[in-house]
Amino acid sequence: MRGQRSLEVLKMGIMNYSEAIKLQEKLISDRKLGKITDTLLSLQHPPTYTLGKRRTYHNLLVPESELKSMGAELHYTERGGDITFHGPHQAILYPIINLRDIGLGPRKYVENLELLMIEFASLYGVQAHAGKKGETGVWVGDRKIGAIGVKISSGFTSHGLAVNIDPDLNYFKHIVPCGIVDKGVTSLKRETNMVLPSEEVIHEQLISCFARVFGYINLVYKDTYQ
Amino acid sequence: MASRLWASRAASYLRLSVCHRGFASVVKDLKYADTHEWVKVDGTSATIGITDHAQDHLGDVVYVELPEVGASVTQGNGFGAVESVKATSDVNSPVSGKVAEVNEVLNSSPGLVNASPYENGWVIKVEMSNMGELDSLMDSDKYSKFCEEEDAAH
Repeated sequence: MRGQRSLEVLKMGIMNYSEAIKLQEKLISDRKLGKITDTLLSLQHPPTYTLGKRRTYHNLLVPESELKSMGAELHYTERGGDITFHGPHQAILYPIINLRDIGLGPRKYVENLELLMIEFASLYGVQAHAGKKGETGVWVGDRKIGAIGVKISSGFTSHGLAVNIDPDLNYFKHIVPCGIVDKGVTSLKRETNMVLPSEEVIHEQLISCFARVFGYINLVYKDTYQ
Repeated sequence: MASRLWASRAASYLRLSVCHRGFASVVKDLKYADTHEWVKVDGTSATIGITDHAQDHLGDVVYVELPEVGASVTQGNGFGAVESVKATSDVNSPVSGKVAEVNEVLNSSPGLVNASPYENGWVIKVEMSNMGELDSLMDSDKYSKFCEEEDAAH
């Protein structure tokens, strides 16, 4: 049922992880009550490591205390997926949408998230592809450029995806990224021959890819959320 | 054509009904919730799992979060979660009661949920507190139709 589906887009800039979790909880609550339409958060995090529901702590290669001295935080989440890193110059999308409204199960939802990141990369002449079975995410060759970790509660989504635009990839050395030992990470900056535009433009493009893949016709932009 | 006939006969023998799309299987004699969990009733005991339709929509399950034995469950509310394709999805209980047993095998073999959703992939057993709740669940025919309508709508 495509119709004139509306998407509210919140551009949050650089947002602390805990604040982002709180905001998502509020949005999910409001979405479940029908107070708001499907909503998309576009943001970045300061240096942050996060673990998924399975708490794959063994994939953190340095003691937690060392993270603090690096200026990074560690968070435990309820999302799917393994350990990952978020930081400046990594574009994050957290869709808060009702999957039942659009008839998507978890697998199809995640496939769409992969698709939109692949489309986004292609804007820069980068040929990315979805991972093999059991390796959800987006790759260029055997280097990971986009990660996914989502939580679905009664069909309502939270958490989402992260695309490496030009983050400090050294941060990934302290983890086994997404629990996959023998594959590296990369960024759009590394993979493209094109000059990257401003981050504002890049985030806009990522949002457009999301809207296109998920069939949202009407986008409403907001800078803050009460 | 011949293989379809064979499939129908096999399905009949196994008490499965094959949807017209030849896709997700549904087992007769079970009750179904609209959130795609099934219940097998044996006296006041309910064995609960997720349906073939659900496991197909989830993708390969890599982790099942089970409740504690003795925990209370409420009809329509979540009691645990599964993880597949980097997504955690909650699982709801079709009935209210107390968790009597959990399928510990899923800790080491979460893929049973995909491979054997109605048999070895069962998730919890509940001592039901309100048998009347079963009336609000669907039978296999209704559930088959429900799946078809849900998939056709999009």
